[in-house]
Parts: sequence; structure tokens; C-alpha cells
Amino acid sequence: MNNLTKRIESAKEKWEAFQKNKEPIIYIGAASCGRAAGAVQLLAQTDRWLKENELAAKVVQVGCIGPCYLEPLVDIQMPGQPRVSYNNVTPKLLPVILGSHVGESVPYAKAAIGHFGKEPLNGIPRFFDLPMLKPQVRVVLRNCGLIDPEQIDQYLAVDGYQGFMNALKTPPDDVIGVVRRAGLRGRGGAGFPTFKKWTACRNAPGNQKYLICNADEGDPGAFMNRSLIESDPHALLEGMLIAGYAIGASHGIVYIRAEYPLAIERLYQAMQQMRDYGLLGEHILDSDFSFDIKVKEGAGAFVCGEETALIGSIEGKRGMPKSRPPFPAISGLFGCPTIINNVETLGTLPNILRNGPDWYNRFGKEGNRGTKTFSLVGKVRRQGLIEVQLGTSLREIIFDIGGGLQKPFKAIQTGGPSGGCLSEEFLDLTVDYESLTAAGSIMGSGGLIVMDEDTCVVDLAKYFLDFTQKESCGKCTPCRVGTRHMVEILTKITHGEGSAEDLLALRTLGDTIKKGALCGLGQTAPNPVLTTLRYFRNEYLEHIKEQRCRAVVCKDLIEYRVIKEKCTGCQSCVKVCPTGAISGPRSEPHNVDKTKCIKCRSCYVTCRFEAIAGDAIVIGSVEKTS
Amino acid sequence: MPETVAAILVKHSRKPENLIPILQDVQKELGYISPESVKDISRYLRISENQIFGVSSFYAQFRFTRPGRHSLKVCLGTACHVRGGATVLDTLENVLGVKCGDTTPDARFDLERVACLGCCALSPVVQIDKRIYSRVAVNKLSELLKFYE
Amino acid sequence: MTKERMLSITIDNKQIQVRSSQTILEAARDNGIVIPSLCAMEHLPPYGACRLCVVEVDGLRGFPTSCTTPVENGMVIRTGTTELKSLRQEILRLTLGEHPASCLFCGEADECKKYQGTIRKVGMTTGCRYCSNDDRCELQQLTERIGLTETSYPVYYRNFSVEKYDPFYDRDYNLCILCGRCVRVCNDVRLNATLAFKQRGKLTTIGPAFDRTHLEAGCEFCGACVDVCPTGALSPKVSKWSGKADADISTTCVYCSIGCQIRLQTKNNKVIDALPDYASSVDHGLICVKGRFAVPEYVHSAARYSNPREMTPMGYNDISWEDAITRAADRLKDVGPDQCLVMVSPELSNEDLFVAQQFARQAIGSENIGSSLMIELGDDLLPFIDLATRTEPFSVMGEAQAILAVGFDSTHGYSPIGIAVKRAARRGAFLATLNSAESNLDMLAEVSCCLDEGDWANVLDRIRLGTLEPSSTKPASDGPDAWGEEVKKIAQAFKGSAGSVVIIGEQVLTSAGRHEILQALLKIREELSCKMVVAHPYTNLCGMVAVGALAGLEPGQAVRKGASEAALPFAPRPIDFTKPRKVVYLIGEAPSSGLPECDYLIYQNALPGGFPRQPDLILPTSLFSEAAGTIINAEGRILQVREAVAPFEDSKPDWWILSRIAEKLGKGKPKYATLSAVQQEGKKQVKGVSDSRKKVEFERVSYAAVRRTDGGTDSGDSRRKRKHARYRGIALSDVVEGMKVIRRNNE
Repeated sequence: MNNLTKRIESAKEKWEAFQKNKEPIIYIGAASCGRAAGAVQLLAQTDRWLKENELAAKVVQVGCIGPCYLEPLVDIQMPGQPRVSYNNVTPKLLPVILGSHVGESVPYAKAAIGHFGKEPLNGIPRFFDLPMLKPQVRVVLRNCGLIDPEQIDQYLAVDGYQGFMNALKTPPDDVIGVVRRAGLRGRGGAGFPTFKKWTACRNAPGNQKYLICNADEGDPGAFMNRSLIESDPHALLEGMLIAGYAIGASHGIVYIRAEYPLAIERLYQAMQQMRDYGLLGEHILDSDFSFDIKVKEGAGAFVCGEETALIGSIEGKRGMPKSRPPFPAISGLFGCPTIINNVETLGTLPNILRNGPDWYNRFGKEGNRGTKTFSLVGKVRRQGLIEVQLGTSLREIIFDIGGGLQKPFKAIQTGGPSGGCLSEEFLDLTVDYESLTAAGSIMGSGGLIVMDEDTCVVDLAKYFLDFTQKESCGKCTPCRVGTRHMVEILTKITHGEGSAEDLLALRTLGDTIKKGALCGLGQTAPNPVLTTLRYFRNEYLEHIKEQRCRAVVCKDLIEYRVIKEKCTGCQSCVKVCPTGAISGPRSEPHNVDKTKCIKCRSCYVTCRFEAIAGDAIVIGSVEKTS
Repeated sequence: MPETVAAILVKHSRKPENLIPILQDVQKELGYISPESVKDISRYLRISENQIFGVSSFYAQFRFTRPGRHSLKVCLGTACHVRGGATVLDTLENVLGVKCGDTTPDARFDLERVACLGCCALSPVVQIDKRIYSRVAVNKLSELLKFYE
Repeated sequence: MTKERMLSITIDNKQIQVRSSQTILEAARDNGIVIPSLCAMEHLPPYGACRLCVVEVDGLRGFPTSCTTPVENGMVIRTGTTELKSLRQEILRLTLGEHPASCLFCGEADECKKYQGTIRKVGMTTGCRYCSNDDRCELQQLTERIGLTETSYPVYYRNFSVEKYDPFYDRDYNLCILCGRCVRVCNDVRLNATLAFKQRGKLTTIGPAFDRTHLEAGCEFCGACVDVCPTGALSPKVSKWSGKADADISTTCVYCSIGCQIRLQTKNNKVIDALPDYASSVDHGLICVKGRFAVPEYVHSAARYSNPREMTPMGYNDISWEDAITRAADRLKDVGPDQCLVMVSPELSNEDLFVAQQFARQAIGSENIGSSLMIELGDDLLPFIDLATRTEPFSVMGEAQAILAVGFDSTHGYSPIGIAVKRAARRGAFLATLNSAESNLDMLAEVSCCLDEGDWANVLDRIRLGTLEPSSTKPASDGPDAWGEEVKKIAQAFKGSAGSVVIIGEQVLTSAGRHEILQALLKIREELSCKMVVAHPYTNLCGMVAVGALAGLEPGQAVRKGASEAALPFAPRPIDFTKPRKVVYLIGEAPSSGLPECDYLIYQNALPGGFPRQPDLILPTSLFSEAAGTIINAEGRILQVREAVAPFEDSKPDWWILSRIAEKLGKGKPKYATLSAVQQEGKKQVKGVSDSRKKVEFERVSYAAVRRTDGGTDSGDSRRKRKHARYRGIALSDVVEGMKVIRRNNE
């Protein structure tokens, strides 16, 4: 323990020295999303620029701070000055920013989005005062984008592993008590009280117990877990130590998607650092607690997010769920008592153990304590990773944090493919486990997809059902056959061939699958259809009765036309059309051959963005010839 | 036994729970799961080849045919779907002349779909080999492919 | 065993006492409460996929499946609420979304059932009668029970081509509902793992790796998957169109020395199928391809003799039994004791063998009672009998800590032993194999020695020496120490464990180094006090030795009667098979080589043999499906062979024919009119085999009188022939189509 105390002291000193930097520090957000936006190229460019200009600076890769729509983000901190954040940095813009801020010590206010100081700075707002960030409460994400995820010392400097050390001084049963008083509920979806699961496992007979971290973030449209692991891996690992200690496990396993290579890399690195610091292995910090962690990569099966399927997958079997009871807390991995906790649940633990249950109780509301992270994506202006208190309304999330939409709001999908699609009337619904369930949706792991009038809800429901159908393990009949029936019916409707009976059949099927399916994947699969049927019935009826898709999405119900008056005859669309459906001589209005058109949208996009084009191509409902 | 597979096997203990990690290593090395490697794994782990095939065919990650030179993955996560991911896939199918899940006849591309690459805020995204392209536009796809031979 | 805790639960307002290890479904079943279910089945681990056995349980969320939910004290369960009933109907509708359902919901279904005879006509028109499983289909029964009369959902016909390329059974996966019974029985009960679920979701299929045939994938063709399939997806080629059986007769399979209990399915005096008996204490239902699939085609072979026949210059003439018996008696009347040879098959029943030896000794007055097994084993007959008559019960595998299987493969035979070995290996016992080619146990073996048969004895000796004295595992000869590591490992395992078992497989008997191998094995038995299990093809060898149906063995002489009587070692007397005889009488024998020259050949059997010498007199016999009796299996158990159908045409049991000839000859005792008369006499003469509950034990073999016989009794040819399973001298692969395919594949 002493050894670590020393290390913490030196880490804090190092951190302070780092903050009082003598040379410029350049932070580049290089989590997966930043990289996709071009962060790697910016890194190389920065190094080149520094060399060319013979300037010295520290370049630090940080994780994701949240507002993905601003990616790539480059922050610059000059000695004695606050850190300034620049958004949407392009290779063209970078030298300008560097030249001004690093070269001449003048923040390039024109491209800056915010700064991290206390005082006003050149008209640049404070970063955390930005409308997207101000309403947020950062508990789990407190370090994301601020510390270097590859340095355990930086984590220690911000009180990392303090929660674990507190736990180690407390009997395991009392640790469970702390979690109970904090009111923490599982962040993986259903919101089962964490302490209850833990107690069952702690009391289950058996010498060998396992703790599994479920990082198989399979929900399309959700990336909270990836961001946390990439930006602050030690927070998760510390949480695992706490949970392992509390339930009496000696082995932990992180089951993580293979599609997250950077997160996996960071985990391995962090685990090695823990080992070096005596935080992993036999007799951690000279205590009686021994714990080791292994990383298992998933192999591409959404259903493995389900507890029993996940266990099967770790055992080397097909990821097919098993009926419960017996519950994993009693008989799980290799038949031993096993706790499976979500990344966010585990990532929250260090904060609770560090600051105490009363502190955590300050957030959220009765029965729904604490904060929850969401990935806010879709047609919202400010997309990204956010963290809010439970009980925040959807309106606040979409309009205050997300900045609203460009076109009118239509719907929001919560909880991914297992969740529901909620309409405008639910905007004032507070985000908590019970309210969402009552509305026919679920909290899920935290994907929030915002849709505007360009989204067809029937198509969306079909998309989700198609997804669950493809990801169904195929074991139980209701899920395997039932979702297939539903997809077929929805396809029929999007083709304009549906009938009113189909809506009844969808309801019956949905009901049967909900009641009859073996696992959570199946039981929640019909939610997107059942909710859209409930809240957007009219759109279904339009498809069925009028063969009309008001969002002009369903291909069979739309066509591409050229408005002759607007067409400049620039031939840009002729060039991009993959099937040669558009023809017409230069400078004369073009024509779309509907028999050849595959509705790929290339011409439409080209017509909108090419300067010489005149927005002449439009998409509309098929015009009926009588 | 080819040396590559043998070298992979010795890194893992002979426990059935190592099946998936072994398969992942084999695929990393060979690009696919060959019938011969299944036989070697079967001997090593004492699981029948049939069971190994049953497990490996369950997971989307594993393939049983030699891959193309470049892997082209279209993300069809929800955010990408809402922002036109399916159209991107349609267009690629058209441009390359193959269906999703197939390899082009000249073995240049494997066209696949993925459930979510986790870059939802940058949708729609396409991954070619290790690089992720964000906010791809359907009319720019052909140009993009020219970088890969 | 500690007594299991009993719990009290309430099902549908009825309070019942149940065992704590049970699931709700099992508890209900035991108490006569029927919960509809499909994927659940006794002997198979619970799966919970069909969802039809859903129930309501107080305190449990949703609708748990009764087949997977363990009982808990005080549980309150409802099985038939309105909601459950309609949920079951809806789920069944979904099940039928993947299964052609016209046979279930056709308006003519009732009429159709009544007039089964018109399968062809109706089926041709509507297609609904194309399913061979019609009328014995569990899905049909369940649909009726659940009360579903229509479905509005479409059926996704998956358009798989029917798989007919493998022997014995066809597979139409268009009818498969993915209940997983076949996969579970193949993996969890048979431990063979040929079948696996492939792909996932709606693309899920069942079968072996890649697109291999079952034959290529190592299928045992045990048919267990066919037995458990609730639909017509899996169906036996031979019997699929036979419909429901009239009767189910338990009997003993006579195709090898294990003596599996099988249930012959009969219809219109024909055996249409043979099924395993999971309640059997001999094989626990783990029968092999021979018992499962090789019975109907053999016993109803088109080549069977229907009448006695006599060779004339113009060819064979059918004659009456009376004439046939007279001809045989005439030929045997004046023949001297050494001018005659009677050969009996080890596949005959105790009763037939008993009568045969009396017939030779008393009616003809000759001690020349031989058997093809003498020809095949030559000088190694004694060591073989020594090992075989002192085989341990198969249950020794249950506690074995170390097992060595020598020349043993259970892919297409001896599966109860093979599966017991696999189970032991799975539970953690040490398993080593010694083979010349890959065996089906190699997969689970810790150590596999695959080497030339000629070197087996050496390896066995080194194992023995190594176990006794760890430092002496060095090879006897100089040169590189091939297999040194393996020998050391096996020796170590044998040394460290009390319960070591050696399995001696059929390949030992056909191997080139047989003599040395058997000697090495005997030494291992003596010096390491290992338990030995011999898996050999000579079905009723034990019965043959017990009743004295071999030259030099008196009836009952070899049987141990109890500690009080002095134990006398026994040994059969060698016979010179090269010496020409006046009459050779083959009883259930058809040696393809080594048949001595003779003036007159009597051939008493059911099917033509493969030997070149044309018999002068053919006496058609009834087979084990037609004539009752008993056999003694390799463990010494007395097992019943029961008459399932009436004798074929004019065929007669062996004991009956011999008795009639003896009558005609007017000499000796065997003039039995009934089987029970034979059994009574047998009881008197052969002590120690009267109580079928007690195992027959044998005295030691005497090696005192061993002398090498002269002449070619040990031709390689005869050894090779034995490699294919035979019954009464006829290779099953000559009669049964599927066995032919397997044989071709093995060669």
C-alpha cells in the first residue's frame, strides 16, 4: 500500500508539473471516432509542422470528450494559459491554428469552440459552458478527453484507485451495503439493483466465482462503452477490482467486441500498468485479495450481449442463451457463481466508493439514482456522447444538449433494437427506467437516435426487426420464426402491398414473441414495431391504404423526377448515375428513365451540392397514372 | 500441420474455452478458417470438427473462404441507416457487381456489412481495411475505391 | 447413495411431493400431469427451445419453460390457464411456420387417416402424404393436443434437397423444426458429435462440418438421431414407408458379443425396424449400426432359403423336410467318428449349441466339433478364450482411472463399450489408444500410439515393464526410442491408478502380430492385475464354451460352479481342418476358406455362404428374430433372444432340425420336441448357467496340453474376412445395403 501511496504522490507532482507546463501542450482527440474524422492525419501533420517551424511542444493523444460532431478536436495549451479547444479541424485549418496559437501565443478565436480556464478569454466561451455540455453531469465520463488514457499516473493523479483502496479497507459485505445505499442499478438495460445480484452471488456456495464485464456493446447506434474504455480504461478496471472484491471473485473477464481494436489495446496496456503497480494479481496491495483479469474478444454476435449467451461464448460454445433460472449469480461460467456487469455500472463504482453513497444520491431521483451516459445521434445538431442525471427530460436532451434538429422532430428511439420509438408527445418524459418501460420502450444501454421527418417509421421498424432477425441465435421458435414473419409483413407494407389485417398480425406476433421468447433479445425484439404501431399508426395506414411514404424513404413508393424548369442541364447527375438512367444533352433539361433508376440517391445528392446544378432532382411519391 | 497453425495452437492451452480465441488467431493469420486448420484444432482441443464448424459458423466474424485483397465494410448501424447507410451498400453492390457478403471476381474487395462501427456521430461510415471513412457520400464512392487495387 | 431431498410443490391446485433434482416438467410427468412439450425428452439434457411447455409460476416473471425450471419448495405452478393455452397455440403456429402443415389442417385429414391405404393416390394429388412420418408424428399429436386447427401464417419452405446420399437414413431438413433433439443425442448421449447446429437464426441448419456427408464426418450410423426426431425430417431408408408397427418385441442383438437389448418392430409378420432400449442394463440403449439398421434387411433377405434342397446332377431340387432328414441321416449313419466334422457357429444360441454338441457326440459319435473361430484363431485360440471368458463387466469403465484401448474402434460396432470409454475420458480418466490406423477414440485420448501391428507387442511389454519398474521403459532393441514418451506416460498413468482397464479390440484378432500381442496382454493381466474387457465378434463364444460345443470340452466343464468344488482348468482340443472328411456338417457356419475337403456337405443355414464348394444338402434355418433361445454375452450375462415373427417360409430352428435327424439316426439324447425340453436338459448338464440373474463365470484355461497343430489353420485370408461383421458366417455387408457402403468406405 505504501508503495502505491508514494506512486500517487509522485503522480500528483508530475501532473501538477504537467499542468504548469513550460512548453505548449497539444491535445488531439484520438479515440475511434476522432480517428475516423481524421485525427491520425492531424497528429502526423502536427509533428511535421512542429519540426518545420523548429518549435517544441508536447503532443498528447486524449480520448473522447463527448461532442463527436466537433471531431476532430485539437486543444492547445500554452504555458500559463488555459487550454483552448478547436473543433472540426481540417488539414487546411491546422497550420493556421498552430501558427497563431503555438507560433504567436494568440488563440485563434475564429476556429475555437471553448476553453478550459476560469476567466473569459478573447471572447471564447468556457468549454463546459457550451450549451451541449452545461446541462451535463460528468461522473462516469469525468476523465474522458481530459487525461491521457495511456498513463496510469494521470489516472492516479485525479484520485484514481482511491475508491478501490477505500473498498479494500471495508469488509466485502459493507461494500455491497455502500452500493445498495447509493441506489445503483445495472446500466446494461433492465436496471436491476446491482447490490441484489451481488448479494446472491456472494452468498452462493462455491470457492470459484467469476466477474464478467459485458463490453459487448452490440446495439447499433451506441458507443458509450467504447468511448469510456478508450478514454479512461482504468475507471472500468478499478470498478472491476471493487466488484470482484465485493462478490468474492478471483477472476475477472472483460468480454469485448472485436470491432473495438483501440479499446482492446488500451485495456491490455492499462492491465499491464496495474500489474506493474501491484494492482492486479496475487495479494493486491499486500492484502488478502487476489484478482486477475482476462480479455476475451467477441466474435460478432449481438445475442452475446445476453448474459447466458455471453457465458456460452466465453466457454467456447455457440452463443445461444439458456433459460433462467438457474441464474448466473448462482450457476454461471463453468457452472460457478458469476456476476455480469455492464461497463458503465463498473465505471461508476470507483466514484461511489470514493465519494460515498450520499454523494451519489445527490444525482438523479428517488429510485433512479445517479447519472447515465447516452450516445446521442441521428438527426440532432450536436451529436455525441453525453452524461446526464437520471430524470432529465427527453426535451432537455434533444433540444438543450443536442441543439434540436434542422427539420421538425419526429421520433426518438431509446434502447437500441430492443427499445421503442417514441413520438413528440413523449418529449417531456423523464428518462428513468420506469417511465421508459411504461411508454413501451426501455432504457437499454443508452443509445438515443433522433429522427426527423425524413425518417420513415415503418422502414425504421423494419430495419430494427431485420436486425434482430439476423442476429437471432435461432434457438427458440418465437424469436426465430416470429421475427421473420414480422419482417416479411413489414417488407410487404413498405412495398405498398400491406393490408389492415397485417397490422393485427403484427400485434399478435409481437405479443407472442414478447411472452414466449427465451431470452431478452427475443422478448424485447418486437418493441420497435409495437411502439411505432402505437404512436405512428397513421404512417402505417398511409403505406397500406395510399401506398404513400411521407418520408419518401420506401423505395417502391417513391420516384425520382427532374423539374424541367430548374434543371440547368449540367450533366453532373448523368455522370454519377450508376445505371445510366439519366439522359439529356448538355444545357437541356435531363430526364430520369424510371425503368432503369435504382433510386440510389447519387443524382439527388449531386444536384444539391454541385454548384452549377439547380436542385432540380426531387424525390416524391409515385404519381399514379389513372 | 502447417507451422502457422501449430504456432497458434501452442500459445493456447488445450481447454475447450480457447476455441474462439484460437479461431480468431487462425483467421488473423490465414484470413479465413480453412478445413485443414479445423482438423488441427479438433485434435488439439479434443472437440469434433463438426462442433468446431458449428461454433465458428455461428459467429459473423469467421469466414470459410479465402478473402479478397481489401475488406470493404459498410456500417448499417441505426445512425448510419437513418443517414443512408443502406443506399451506400446498394451503390457499392452496383459498382462492384457483387452482393453483400461476396468477394469480387477479381478478388479485389470483400463486400460486407457490419452492425455498428461505433462512429455513429460521423455516419454514414465505411471501413476499408483498417481505415474508417466518415460521412461518405454515395456519389464519391467510386473515387474512394480507386485508392485500393 | 444419499437419499434425495423431497420437496412439496403445487401444480394446478394439486399438491405433490417431488425430488429436489427434478424440473417442473419431470415432476409433472411423474405425477400424471401432462404439459405439452416438444424439444424435451428423457435421457436428453433440457434445452428450452420449443417453448411449448411454458407454465406460470408464482414469483417468476413471464412464462418460464417447465423443462428447464428446477422445482423449488413451495412452488405454485399453473399449466393450463387460458392465457397459457392461447400462448401455446400461437407458439405452435410459429413452429409450423417452418414445417409444411398441410397434413395437419387439411379438411380431409380425418377421412384420410381412415383410408390409409390410399397414400399413393392422395399423396400424388395433394402432396400432403409425402411425409413418411405421417400418423406417428409427434408434431401431429401435439397439434391435436394443443387444439390448433388452422394457421394464417405462411410456411417458409426452405427448399433443401432431401439428403439421400448417406447409408441407412434419409434427411429432409425441410421438415426440421430445430428442436435440437438429434444434436443433443449425438453430442451428449452418444458422445460422437457428428451433428452440430450450423449458422444461426433463420439460416440455422443441422449437420456435419462444411458440406461433408455423414459418412465422411465420422457418423456411427447408430440411428439415435432418427429415433428421437419428432418429425419426418430423419427417417430410416428401409422402414420409412412401413408406417406404424403392430408390435414391439424386446430381444437380444446377436451381431456381436455385447448382446445389446433391441426392440424389434414388427408388422404383418415382418421385422420392419429395430430400436434401442434405453432401459437396458447391458447397453443403456447405446446400440450400434448393426443392431439398429442391419436386422430387417438380413432377416428378410431375398436370398433366404425357404425349403430344404438337395443337389442333383441337374442342379438343386426342393425337397420335403422328411426327405431332407432322411438324406442327412443316411449319410451320417455309417460314418466313423473321425470321418465326420461338425462345425458350429458362435452366433448360435445356447440351446442350439447344446443340441449340436449332443448331436455330434451322441448321434454321430464324433468329438469333431469345430468352429470357424478355431480356423481363424489357430494357435491363439487358447489365449483368446482365456481373455474372452474372463472379461470384466462393462461397468468397470465407470470407475476406471486409466484406460488403454488396443486395436479398438467403436465407430461401427461395440458402441456401448466405446461410449463408456469416452465418458470415462470426459470425466477425466486417462485414455491411451494403440492402433495401426486412427480410431474414433483418438480424439479424446491423452496418448495415441499409431503404429504397425507387428510392434504392438513390444510397446505393450514396455508399458508393462514401465509400470512395474519405471526405469525400464527403454526399448528392447537398440535404435531410436520411438514411442518412448507415450509408453512412459501410459506406464505412469497405470502405475498411479488402482482401476486400470485394458480394452482389447477386434483388430487384435486380425492383426499380423496377434500371437505376441495376446501373450503381452496376458502378462499385463497377470502382472499388473489390470481389468480386461475383450470386445470380440464371436457373439455366443461364452455359451459355446459353457455348453461344451467345442472339441475337448464337456458340457459345463468350463463353468465355475462355486468355491466348494475343485477348479479344473479346461482347454478345447485342436482339430485338423486340413484332413479330408466323408461328411462335413455346417451349422450356421459358412467358412469362406479353410473348409476341409469332403464327400458330402450338409449346409444348415439361412442364406447362401460364400464358399466355393456347393453343398449337397441345404437345410433352411430360422434366424434369431424367429426362434427363441438364450446367449451368454462377453460379460457372462445370460440374455434372452425372443421370437418376434413366425419362421420364414419352411425354415426351422437349428435344435429342431438336429433333433429330427438324431431321431432318424436313433442314437443319443437329442430328440427334443420343444425348446423348453432342450432348456431343461441343458440345466441338468450345464451347471452354473441356470440362473439368468447371475453372471456365468469360467474356470481357468489350461495351457498344459498345448501343441501346435499342423497345417494352414492360420491363413491371412481368413483373418481379413473377419474384419467385416458377420452373422452365421455371412458378412452383413453382403446382405445389408448400407453396411456395403460403410465397408466400401472403410476399405
